[in-house]
Amino acid sequence: MAAEDLPSEFDVVILGTGLAESVVAAACSRVGQRVLHVDRRSYYAANWASFTFNALLTWIQEIQAESLSEEVQDRSSLVEEGEELIYLSGSDSASISNLQVFCYVSEEAEEEEEPANTTEEEEAGAAGEGAAKEPSETESAGSKEEEAGEAAEGDEQAAQEQGEEPKADQPQPSAPPSQSEPTRKKISYTQLVKEGRRFNIDLVSKLMYSRGSLVDLLIKSNVSRYAEFKNVTRILTYRHGSVEQVPCSRADVFASRQLSVVEKRKLMRFLTSCVEETEEHQAYNGRPYLEFLREQQLGDNLQHFLLHSIAMVTEDTLTKVGLASTRHFLRCLGRYGNTPFLFPVYGLGEIPQCFCRMSAVFGGIYCLRHSVSCLIVDKDSNRCKAVIDSRGQRISCSHFVVEDGFVGADRKVATPTRLLSRAVLITDASVLPGDSEQQVSLVTVPPTDGRPAVNMVELSPSTMTCIPGTYLVHLTCQSVGSAYEDLSPVVTRMFCMAECQDEENRPAVLWCLYFNMADGSGVEPEGHDLPSNVYVCSGPDGALGHEHAIKQAESIFLKILPEEEFCPPAPNPEDIIYDGENTSPTSIGEEEEEEGLTAAGGEGEEKQQEQQEEETSLQPEE
Amino acid sequence: MSMEDYDYLFKIVLIGNAGVGKTCLVRRFTQGLFPPGQGATIGVDFMIKTVEIKGEKVKLQIWDTAGQERFRSITQSYYRSANALILTYDITCEDSFRCLPEWLREIEQYANNQVVTILVGNKIDLAEKREVLRQRAEDFAEAQSMLYLETSAKESDNVEKLFLDLACELIREAKQNKLDNSDTAPMPGEGKTISYLSCCNIN
Repeated sequence: MAAEDLPSEFDVVILGTGLAESVVAAACSRVGQRVLHVDRRSYYAANWASFTFNALLTWIQEIQAESLSEEVQDRSSLVEEGEELIYLSGSDSASISNLQVFCYVSEEAEEEEEPANTTEEEEAGAAGEGAAKEPSETESAGSKEEEAGEAAEGDEQAAQEQGEEPKADQPQPSAPPSQSEPTRKKISYTQLVKEGRRFNIDLVSKLMYSRGSLVDLLIKSNVSRYAEFKNVTRILTYRHGSVEQVPCSRADVFASRQLSVVEKRKLMRFLTSCVEETEEHQAYNGRPYLEFLREQQLGDNLQHFLLHSIAMVTEDTLTKVGLASTRHFLRCLGRYGNTPFLFPVYGLGEIPQCFCRMSAVFGGIYCLRHSVSCLIVDKDSNRCKAVIDSRGQRISCSHFVVEDGFVGADRKVATPTRLLSRAVLITDASVLPGDSEQQVSLVTVPPTDGRPAVNMVELSPSTMTCIPGTYLVHLTCQSVGSAYEDLSPVVTRMFCMAECQDEENRPAVLWCLYFNMADGSGVEPEGHDLPSNVYVCSGPDGALGHEHAIKQAESIFLKILPEEEFCPPAPNPEDIIYDGENTSPTSIGEEEEEEGLTAAGGEGEEKQQEQQEEETSLQPEE
Repeated sequence: MSMEDYDYLFKIVLIGNAGVGKTCLVRRFTQGLFPPGQGATIGVDFMIKTVEIKGEKVKLQIWDTAGQERFRSITQSYYRSANALILTYDITCEDSFRCLPEWLREIEQYANNQVVTILVGNKIDLAEKREVLRQRAEDFAEAQSMLYLETSAKESDNVEKLFLDLACELIREAKQNKLDNSDTAPMPGEGKTISYLSCCNIN
């Protein structure tokens, strides 16, 4: 905890701890590069982070409080002959906008409120209280005028749409009406705060395709040893006003009660025929997938499942693309479970951290609450030769990797305007209660009335992201309007707000958050006016999987080190044999590392057995 | 899972300021080595040692910080699913003792509730340089309901005892847990015997 000085020379300096940056860090350290990885924030994973409930409230407050005025310190004294400075942006607040919080549960008696705040860790405790009382002011975090206007518009609409539920617009949790009537609800706001530590609330909502590039990379690099994963257990879809389960695996299809025998046979036949590309497929390549599906005469049910839940495409998607996604889905199916998806225990924010750990294990130096304020560029070569950190220290480097948010708008060739709309709900029941209360579900909500398709992920407490008795529901779509405008219609249809006695038995929303996030898929890696050895990583994109970030990380790595392998497997600690005669098995130099550590060559039965075990665990449950 | 070569597997995690001797403790215990003047640990995630306690084979997986403690930037995931934490300070360094509350906050935030925490004062071979009195550390540990032990990785004092005591405590708790196998039991990371196969570990 001592405020040591950083070394002044690195091969690669990385600013921002999002997924792509963290993968680059791990990959570079792994092959012996000296890596410095810093983040201005006090937490890992940037916009990929997962927060406890209290930390999320703090994050909300910070977003709302962040002003655009930045203190730019003059660093020109550190510049030498033939060099010039590029200042980086001090904050990335622009990536989050239209933040709105609604609380639908009451606080318990006052006296219980107090201990809750004092027992929690100090920083977040205060924030918890603050955010509980203030969120009625719906904020537009971007604080640009047009955005503010949009948010206000959203509010008006909200008031109209939810006329019978005026509480939605005054989230003061101590709203009285609910206190007089007995309700089925036991969870109070106080409890959410008190047990806030047990929530891990993701800013992005994604799933891991079990044969996607992230899972492949985790396995290949051995980074997977730092995390545990759960199967997504069900795929659901919202249709005709109700939630239905999508039969997607062979077992599901046979067990399905919704499908007729004929439908089952048709579906199996279709799925089998998809695997190989046929001439018939090719004939439809340039035409919409929907047309192709219609041609197969599958019927409405199957057509809906195939289009929205399996291919997860829209009605005008081309057959080529639709078939490709269908195949990807089928390939991923059954590797670990009944659906193609995995979810990391404790939330998605674990994943970038696992790569950071890998980088640190191979000598990467980590420093949160620390930033890079400017780059020093050699005028002749137009290459970044050093950076100046937030303490004014000059650190030389051969490559600089930076999160998109830190690149000033003046340096971007085209500012991406695409946004994602996000909602996070804490609810009291599953959208489709089943035999088990520990289901992890993907719910696809097809587009309606010009509103985009919504991906919804419902996490149960088994994922260690929410407390028993609650579910954590993430909604994501491409933005058309503000997050509230885009997503609240879906939320209103599928959930009931507040502690109403709901005839339809929909789950109740206890607390929810809406915000827009910049869509990382709009960021071009070359879309900036920066030196050639500066690489920009985009933030999270809107897709369900992680392909974008992983591909980006790999391409950046290959630009930095074209000759090196991307994330070769780290040695298994159980295979490392220490040479007893060599008294220094640990050393900083990478050459010595090779000598000091030897991969196991069959020494010790125990180790071998261990290895076998690891291997069995690799086998998918096919 | 096929043949297991152990009855219990526990994940033990070391934390504490840089330079207090965390790596030396692990090295000493797992390999009987004391490398003087060693730097950071490269390429090693965790170390394994299987010990036998009352006829039961206990496999200890001991994780080190990978240097992330230097700038207070330990990833949360490091704490996840740890069965025990060894919070280490240097008895010859007052500062490393004063930082303990900060470490405890971090534990409270990220480690699971049932984690067994032991406070270790290392470097007792440097008795003449002692800055933190034993009594003070004992009082602190007791107030935080932690076990306390003083060690010397260099002289190998109490190092074996540290890990064996922890293993005994973890076994005791594991058996306790099995007895009152309540509905809270199947939480990953909170169960006492960690099995990497409990979830669908993809490795």
